Amino acid sequence: MRAFFRFEWRRIFREKKNLVSLGCILLLSIYFVLSGLNEYRQFQVEKGIFLRFEKEKVGHLISYSQYGGFGFRILFEASPLNLFFVNSGVLQDVQSNIDTFEAIKVESSFKGNKLFLRRGFFKDFAGVPFVFGSLLMLYLGHLALVSPAHLRFMMGRMSMKKYYFLTTAARLFWLNLYFAVLGLGLFLLVRLLGVEFSPSDRLHFLAYLLVLVLLLDFFYLLGQLTALLAGFRRIFFLWFFVVWFVCIFLLPEISRISVFSQSQVLESAEKVNLEKFRTLMSLEKQFRDYLKENPSTRLDQLRKMQKQFAVQFINSTYLVNTGLETRYLRDVERVITRHERQSLLFPTTYYQYLAGEVSGKGYQGYIDFMNYIMRLRSRFIRFYLNKRYGENDAAVESFVKGHENIFRSRSRLPGTAGSGILLMALYGAALCALGYWRLRRLVLEP
Amino acid sequence: MISLRDLELDEGDYPLEALSLRVAGGEIYFLLNRPEQANDRLFRLLAGYVRPLRGEIQFDGRPPAIAGRGVPALFIDRVVDPVEFETEARLGDWLDFLCAGGGLDRRRVYETLLLCNFHDRHLRSRVRDLPPEVFKQIYLAVCLAPGHGNIVCNDFIRGAAKGFELKFNKLLLQEKARGRAVLCLGYDIFYASEIADRVGFVKNGRLLLEIGASDLKEMDIKDLYGRFLT
Repeated sequence: MRAFFRFEWRRIFREKKNLVSLGCILLLSIYFVLSGLNEYRQFQVEKGIFLRFEKEKVGHLISYSQYGGFGFRILFEASPLNLFFVNSGVLQDVQSNIDTFEAIKVESSFKGNKLFLRRGFFKDFAGVPFVFGSLLMLYLGHLALVSPAHLRFMMGRMSMKKYYFLTTAARLFWLNLYFAVLGLGLFLLVRLLGVEFSPSDRLHFLAYLLVLVLLLDFFYLLGQLTALLAGFRRIFFLWFFVVWFVCIFLLPEISRISVFSQSQVLESAEKVNLEKFRTLMSLEKQFRDYLKENPSTRLDQLRKMQKQFAVQFINSTYLVNTGLETRYLRDVERVITRHERQSLLFPTTYYQYLAGEVSGKGYQGYIDFMNYIMRLRSRFIRFYLNKRYGENDAAVESFVKGHENIFRSRSRLPGTAGSGILLMALYGAALCALGYWRLRRLVLEP
Repeated sequence: MISLRDLELDEGDYPLEALSLRVAGGEIYFLLNRPEQANDRLFRLLAGYVRPLRGEIQFDGRPPAIAGRGVPALFIDRVVDPVEFETEARLGDWLDFLCAGGGLDRRRVYETLLLCNFHDRHLRSRVRDLPPEVFKQIYLAVCLAPGHGNIVCNDFIRGAAKGFELKFNKLLLQEKARGRAVLCLGYDIFYASEIADRVGFVKNGRLLLEIGASDLKEMDIKDLYGRFLT
């Protein structure tokens, strides 16, 4: 067994073109990680400015009715792990404004079905092994068994099973080690450059590396199987490219189109906003009608009435509107769940889904952000009504305590992570077994 | 001893009809057959990669096997293109692997290489950078390394330079002297007349004629070639 590991080390790492390819992957990965780190630092600076601005803004407000109109903004801050996945997330530079208006705004048009419209492409650490690593693994998989003549020659010296499985294991071991060390090394580098990761971030990054390695193994075994199926013929290179293109570009694109068409069943976000607006306006109409019927109401009575309507608003209209928003969010969640399950079907689609979630800027990050906005908004409305109608002419006090207006999206693993990893491993095992079956047919004629 | 009894293959364009022959220990038997694909198929049949329709193959009483140390004979196939053996490793690394992973006797490999005047600078090269002849030397050394069992050889020296052919002949004669049975497949009747003790002529899958090398030399080789190998 040691002979296999030693030989495959030499085959892979003493060949110039392999070294050039692996070196390019290393350099690109370093570049994208440093570029991600730069973005992360830039964000931290902008976050400081944002916090200062929001704090100062409240000081300039004269009344609570102004505060209700302007509201305050919430900034979406992804997990520090995002620097490895800057283009793999679903959300990009998102913030929201909480005010007394009925529409919940998530800027950059990421609400409802528009959420599924935009995706980043490969220009981050997660994209380098996905595009270039997969191509290299496919290529190294196709080189593994050399040729039918070489296979027959080897069969005279050792059993086919031993040669096939030990060669595969040894090559995968070294290649997996390379990519694992690359990922861990860059993680450590970023850590040394001052980025703090929580224990769960570390765990999630390790899980991501496991999925990455399984994905690359899948491509290696696919390359090996394709070579065997094509009988090592020269036209194989065409197949090689077709297989890679389908796996890397076509299937994820089909998955994206599929989730986008699924999201079409969602009601338009504008419709929901309009419905909420109608509910609010019916309450406003009641108040207007009351004023028309009692034109000579005194100011203190009017204030009393306003307070009563505010209480009525909180207890009825606001609850109805929150219910509408929650129901809408649950519909979005259902589409996401279906998309997650669908992405499980193929390793490349699952890898992309998982990378988005681990970055904290995935679909689950969006759901958490919306829930956070709704919770905060609910508190703000009560605060606003209480201050506006309960404490007349008092100085405007900020609703935001500490860094409440920063939403820190956690890195997370999808709920299907276990089954995803298992399925990817099963895919690999199936390709390995198919390869062996094909090898037997190729070498041993009936 | 190599023994083939009523061997039949009826698949494809290269059938065999009841092929029976025996190659005794210390004998070189040359089976002349055309075209080369028919020899390739027979070679794979003897090596155990192809199952015969009927008949029996035995090497010292053992059936063919293709699993490493269980292989009952040494098989030396023709090398069509050395690039087919390009593993991207250096030859020295490849040899190390074959010796450690395939259980070959390193000393025997190097003995054969020395006999072929192999220069050790080639061990630092890759197959793609080697002249085909040099790769054949390595290939031969690895094939002969187990040092036991009989030998089946498929058209190995075709296209090789005379110098290499002579070294190969010397090696075969050494093995013969050690009491091994050697079965050569090919269609070079002139080479067969130089090396073999007995020669068999196969046409359309049937063994039509078996003669001793001494008789062959007295016969009109061109006539035999025209009758059996065209």
